[in-house]
Amino acid sequence: MIEDELLKWKFKSGSRDALQRIYEKYRDYLLTLAMALMNDAGLAEDVVHDVFVAFAQSSGTFKLRGNLKSYLATCVLNRCRDRIRARKRQPLSLDEDAPLQSEFGSPDRRIIADEQSRQVAYAMEQLPYEQREVIALHLNAAMKLRNIARLQNVSVSTIKGRYRYGLQKLRAALNGRL
Amino acid sequence: MRPADEIENAVKKMSFKAGPKMDKDLWAETAKAQNELRKTMLAPGRRNIVRTIMRNPMTKLSGAAAVVIACLIGLSFWPGTESGIALADVLAQIEKASACRYQWSTWRTSEHGGKSIKSQAHNYTTLRSPKYGGKIEQLDPNVDPNSGMGTLTYCSIQEKAIFSIWPEQKKYSRINFDDAEQLTSLVQSQYEYYARGMVKEILRCKYESMGRSAIDGIEVEGFRTTDPNFVSQDKQHEPNQVDVKIWVDVKTRLPVRSEEHLTYDKEKKTVHFATHDYQWDIPVDATEFKPVIPDDYTLLGREAVKWPAITEEAAIQGLRQCVEFLGKYLETINLTSLYSAFEKSETPGALRLKEELRGLVGPEQDQRRMDVLKPMFVLNMFYVGLDGKDRAYYGKAVTSKDADKVLMRWKVSDGEYRVIFGDLHVETVAAERLTELEKALPK
Repeated sequence: MIEDELLKWKFKSGSRDALQRIYEKYRDYLLTLAMALMNDAGLAEDVVHDVFVAFAQSSGTFKLRGNLKSYLATCVLNRCRDRIRARKRQPLSLDEDAPLQSEFGSPDRRIIADEQSRQVAYAMEQLPYEQREVIALHLNAAMKLRNIARLQNVSVSTIKGRYRYGLQKLRAALNGRL
Repeated sequence: MRPADEIENAVKKMSFKAGPKMDKDLWAETAKAQNELRKTMLAPGRRNIVRTIMRNPMTKLSGAAAVVIACLIGLSFWPGTESGIALADVLAQIEKASACRYQWSTWRTSEHGGKSIKSQAHNYTTLRSPKYGGKIEQLDPNVDPNSGMGTLTYCSIQEKAIFSIWPEQKKYSRINFDDAEQLTSLVQSQYEYYARGMVKEILRCKYESMGRSAIDGIEVEGFRTTDPNFVSQDKQHEPNQVDVKIWVDVKTRLPVRSEEHLTYDKEKKTVHFATHDYQWDIPVDATEFKPVIPDDYTLLGREAVKWPAITEEAAIQGLRQCVEFLGKYLETINLTSLYSAFEKSETPGALRLKEELRGLVGPEQDQRRMDVLKPMFVLNMFYVGLDGKDRAYYGKAVTSKDADKVLMRWKVSDGEYRVIFGDLHVETVAAERLTELEKALPK
């Protein structure tokens, strides 16, 4: 926490070292969160890229009283929501990019993960998005349920329900595979 | 442990890490964003100096006079346009350089629902030597980044052969050439684009200096063109906008990085090419261009392919195949154009080959396509070899019935051109007659 406060202050004054430290400290954490939310290596990479680029560009105007880690996690969350919305709206419009992807294969080899992580991410992808988001934010981003309720703009009891049902479905999906 | 605890732990333990390449790319982009911010934060200050001078009544007149004088002697007050390096000098340095290694990447960004979506980048390393040949390693994201490469291509002048290797499939192909000179000119022209070709093209266009900055600790000067006359790498589809930049080491006058951004309004996409990590004048020997093929790798096809001599007759054969296979001449002669036209073609020959290719995968598919379309590949190589000979090609406007229209031409001596006409007969004509013939071409 103290380190983060110092990093925030140094970053705001334009320090390259502070940006690098923040990047190294939270890169994999944000990548894991994006994978938990989308299970798409290409999109996860894009989201983390966009978050860090936007963050780097904000150094002159950066104002954050709260927790840096939660702030970055929320940035990832918002961008994942945008991507998922865009994907729903235009399911076929990415076809033009498909030959590039298929020609050179899935981009997930740029991301390193063990088999269990891949299985869990795949199982999470099968959940309704709202449930997936609650589980990812609570377990991967260590966010409190009441904060997640605020982010999803629903009551805490709805969040608890989403969390419980999500876990049940995950257990069924991963049954015997862990 | 409760079953729910087990699931919670599994989710908590889930871990994805950026591979080395991704890490490098991500950090580079992040650092670049911060650099750009610094520049924009500084830029208004620089502009303000000019604005302050011009607003102050005492200095207004002398300021204006200074601008006029500066313009007369070829200087400019606008930030970013001052230049210490002549781009023509850069071209001369590139032409003097021996072996060179560089990396290049290509990716796309498209607009979807108001958002910009970036595709996976494809990355390559190229090594070229005017004396020994060329080598391209495709850094394939399909392959474990810690263990190896994707496809490798070697052009070995010493071996008089081009090798393609697919390590994952443990396969390779070999194309033999009779004439080492032909292969040399092919290597030179195919591997030149990213430095020599681009600088030549920028020099032909209206461009500006972007001023000095640093890339990886090297002091560089940048040059930029957005001139619509710039002939981009994509010769098949004309982009609506081009944005081309090259940064040159101020000490060596050799390129350090280049970028080409081609925007297509209709498709709402931008195609990007970037070259970077240039190493100039590196020591190399012939062995680097000759692949070591492991014993358990198999040769595609029964034997090495013998490439026909790249001659005028072979090029005409390629043009004939265009009409047979594509129903018309290629609009432009390059491989992108060839592949694209073949995909669109519905002639019986093309449909038969496409059907056959559907039954094949990977290298076998590539090999079969190349076998059948070899005359058109030879045509491409022949045309590439004409670079520097005032070549021109009018496949967009000329058909096989146009016996009196120039389809292709190149200079053979002072005042004389070799011309292939639409019906594929060939003549050597005087420059004056060529001018008349080209005037008659449809605009």
